[in-house]
Order: sequence, then structure tokens, then C-alpha cells
Amino acid sequence: MATKAVIVATDIITPYGMGCDACWGSLLTNRTAIATISRFKTEAFMSDLAGTIADLTYHVDASLVMQMIDRLFAASAVTIPADSRLLLATTKGEIDFLEKSILTGNGNVGESSLDRLLEKVVERSGAKGGSLVLSAACTSSSAAVARAAAMIRAGHADCVLVVACDAVTEFVYSGFSSLMALDKNPARPFDKNRAGLSVGEAAGFMLIMSGERAEKEQRTIVAELAGWGLSDDANHMTGPSRESEGMIIAIHKALQSAGISGQQIGFISAHGTGTLYNDAMEMRAFYNVFTSARLPVYSVKGGIGHTMGAAGLVELSMACRALHEKVVPPTVNLIDVADDANGWVAERCQSIGSARHALVTNAGFSGVNTALVLAI
Amino acid sequence: MTVCIRGIGWLTQEGYGCVATGREYRFDEGESVNTLAKKGLFSHPFRNFGRLDATSRMTTCAVALALKDAGIAYSPTEKQEIGIVGTSSEGSLASDMAYFNDYVTNGRTLSRGNLFIYTLPSSSLGEAAIHFGLTGPLLFTTGGPDAFGDTMSMAAEMVAGGEAHRMLVGRVAPDEALYFLLDREQGGNSMRSLDETRSLVASTCGVSEQVRRFLILKDTKGRA
Repeated sequence: MATKAVIVATDIITPYGMGCDACWGSLLTNRTAIATISRFKTEAFMSDLAGTIADLTYHVDASLVMQMIDRLFAASAVTIPADSRLLLATTKGEIDFLEKSILTGNGNVGESSLDRLLEKVVERSGAKGGSLVLSAACTSSSAAVARAAAMIRAGHADCVLVVACDAVTEFVYSGFSSLMALDKNPARPFDKNRAGLSVGEAAGFMLIMSGERAEKEQRTIVAELAGWGLSDDANHMTGPSRESEGMIIAIHKALQSAGISGQQIGFISAHGTGTLYNDAMEMRAFYNVFTSARLPVYSVKGGIGHTMGAAGLVELSMACRALHEKVVPPTVNLIDVADDANGWVAERCQSIGSARHALVTNAGFSGVNTALVLAI
Repeated sequence: MTVCIRGIGWLTQEGYGCVATGREYRFDEGESVNTLAKKGLFSHPFRNFGRLDATSRMTTCAVALALKDAGIAYSPTEKQEIGIVGTSSEGSLASDMAYFNDYVTNGRTLSRGNLFIYTLPSSSLGEAAIHFGLTGPLLFTTGGPDAFGDTMSMAAEMVAGGEAHRMLVGRVAPDEALYFLLDREQGGNSMRSLDETRSLVASTCGVSEQVRRFLILKDTKGRA
């Protein structure tokens, strides 16, 4: 029998503040943390809004993501075993160092290297059992969690720490604006009038162990990573497939990997960026796979924005919470639900009854898709 | 299940080629990776090849050679369940600088989306996925000198664990690229074992020398 991969600890820092409790509690109140950004000038952009973490300092000696990671580990009471393997998930890491170097004409653009960030995270986390950066656009951290689970299931590791981070910088903000991807209002996932995403920032970690090791160390099991599926649309660099076939493949792979049917899934934490095409792509996939009933679906991105490479880990953490609390949070900023999401997505909490499985989906540039099944 | 190497494609500033078939081509004067698309390297026209960033051009050419070496056909209309995992020490640094310098030069008011899309380290893999119709997992990795060995092991685990039917795995540097096609071993389709390949890559610097040693191994042992 294959070894189970279980989450034994997770924590996050998001625009709602430090910790899973802050994020969960704020989502339940249907309050958005997306607000006017003051970190850089936004006059030239499509929006002046983002989900940012309070009191981070821009263009100083420590990068934004390391400030988040320092706070995260300083606040955590979780013991990270020194023999943990480390997977660091990010898209742009310490890109603020490159900005600073180019804008001031001083410094070394190489400071923004992901390898250097990895060395810092190894030191900060204490996970010294081997390390690697994984990056797959906005599926970076969900893909990293899937890899961690796969390594454990295959018996190649028994403890893996996944750390995820990405920050709101002028670099990424101007880029999303150039792609006409930003909503001038706070993002409204699955709303009829949605008009784009809001950029957000976050960091988080997830400690994943084999069931045997978790038992031996008497760790509390948050949830089992029961199944996962990764795919690519092979269609377009920035837009999702209009047929949703990539996401459908990922979900089917995840269900097969978990050994369950779609009927056992109690709810879906969707990527739900608030762009027209992403949300429609996901709904088409859900209709295709879940044919017998409409499931509760939600997105957290109206609350905290799109936290890019960190999004998957943040959303997995919240989905674990939803499984335990037996309720999914509202989709923040939803006013007028889109026709295709009607009966699935709601502006209020939805009960999940006695469901013991959740599906978490993410997608990103280059056509990447991930689907993960959580079980309690 | 045993996972094996079925094809290897390589590219340097001097030339390009395949290992299993032993084909090797030298660039003539005025030729480079930038001219390969016009030379018929790809089995169907590569739209906008000239607009790709340098890493994407190197990656897609090396992937085309690895697929050719493994005897795997591709077309613009049919997709196949092959994944791609790639690594590079530079990541997207060159594209990051190109994008942000351009943005700053334009007074921090105008940025170009066609430069921004290459600032993700995984973008070159995305270009490969689109052109070759690769619907399997797609991941960029980095992490110091052992990253490529770890990346190859990860790709092999994906094949062994049923996450992908086949995987492409490779690395790109500014002036060279090397890609492998990993497959399930069946019916003598193996060119090299995975351990042997990992060991050779870990102990040898530079694509030219690695290819030379792969070719010697091929000539002395033949196909496994």
C-alpha cells in the first residue's frame, strides 16, 4: 500500500494579516483586503489597487518576500525537522532587488536570483535535507505541494517543507497592467461584471510528512494530500484554453490519484482570478467533471488578490480549514453571480455537510493547471 | 517500472545534434540558433520564433532535437501527454532586465506585455509546450549545482508514478542547451539508463563534453 502524504502544519501571511486564523476569519466576514497601493506610483496603470501586507518596506536591504518569510517563521511555533527537504515555490522571488538596482544604478541584479533566495530560505526555515526552487507561474506552490506529496508517496522522502512567496512590486504590477489583466475595482471572481484580477502578495509554508513519520512524531494531521494532477493546455502563453481540456485532465488525474469519484468531492476552492477567461474556463471544467450535482465553489482572490506563486499554498491552507469547519467561505466581492457560476458560487458561506474531500484548482501562464484533492 | 533515456538533443554555439542517431551539424557562417527555424529544424512552421526570448529559442530547438532523436513525431493539430521540466542557472534574469529596462526607459509609464511574458522562469517551457503540443506537467526548477540531477529524478518519478506518459527534461545556459526524452523502458527502446546519464551529467562540465562522452558510450556499448 502506498505511503500517505499528510499535512502536519501550515501557516500563511496574507493581506489580512499573520496566520491562517486571520485569513479565514476575514474571508468569513466577506471583507476585502484589496486597497489603494502606495508602494509605487500607479497613475499609468489600469488600477491603483492591490492586496498588500501592512508595514513591509520597499527597496531596503531585505526583499519584500524575505520580510514576509521572516515574519512567518518568527511567529510560528512549528518545529521544522532539520532533515526536511525544502521546495521553494515562487514566480518572481526577490525581483525588487533587480528593480532597485536598475532604478538606482547601484547594486547587483544577480541579487534577485532564485538560487540566492533559496539559500536564505534554507537558513531561515532550518530545512536542510536538500532543496530546490519550483516555479510554474501561478501554479508554483500547488505544483510544489503535489511534488512533495509524490515524493512521499513514492518513498523518496518522508518530510518535505514547501515554502511559497510572491510580492506586489512595480515589476509585476506594470506587467499585469500591460496585459490589460487588472480590474480597476477589487477583483470580483465569478461575478457577471468581473473585469480582471487584483494583484496580491503572500507567503506561507506547509510541512508534509509520511503518515508513518507523522504518527511517530505524534504530529497533528491537518489533512491528507490524497491526489493530484498536473497538466498543460499547450494552447496559449497568457490565456486559458476555451475548451478547458487542460483543467479537465488535471482534475481527472487528481481524482484518479486519490482513488475517489467526483461525487465524493464536497467543495471546490477555485483559482477564480476574476478575469473573464479564467473563471469561465474553470466553470466549464467543473460542469464537465461534476455532472451529478452542483458543488459549493469559492475563490479567495476577491479578499486578498492574486498572490501569484503563493496562491496555491494559501488556498490549500484555507481549504483544509473549510474541510474542518464544514463550511466554505463567501466569494468576497461577488454581487451578481455569473450565469455559468449560478448555483455553485455564492456571496455567503455554504455548508458542505459531512464531506471529507475537497478539490483545489489553480492555473497560470503557459497554460499550466493543477488540481489537488484534500481528505480528512 | 524502469524509466530510461530515449533521446538526447543538444545545442551549442558551434552546432547542434542528436545523440542516439549520432547526427551532428555545425553552424555555417552567419548561422546560429536564431536561424534554425528557417532551416527546417521543426517539423511544422514555428510561428513567431523570432519573437521568442533567447532562452525560449534555445529550449525549443533542444526539445525538437530530443524528440527527433527519440523518433517521436508531433504536429500542430495533435497534442500528446508529454511533460516538460527544465532548469537553468540564469532563470529569467536576461528577460527580467530586458523588460524592466525597457519600462524604465519609457518613463515608467509604458510596459510591454510581449516582454513581460518571458519574465516567468517557466515561460520557455510554455513555448515548447505550445509548439510541440505537450499536455503533461510543466515545471521550472533551480537550486545550485545538484539541481539538474534532482530535476532529472523528479521527471523520472513523474513517469514512474504515472503523472506523465513521457517527460522531457533539460537545462539551458546562455550558450548551450541539452534536453532528454524520458520514457518507460519497453522493447529495447532505451538508449541510456537514467543512473548512467545522471552520473555522466554530474561528473562532466559543459554540453559539448557531455555530448562527446555520450557518443563514446554509445559507440562502445551500442543501444542497451
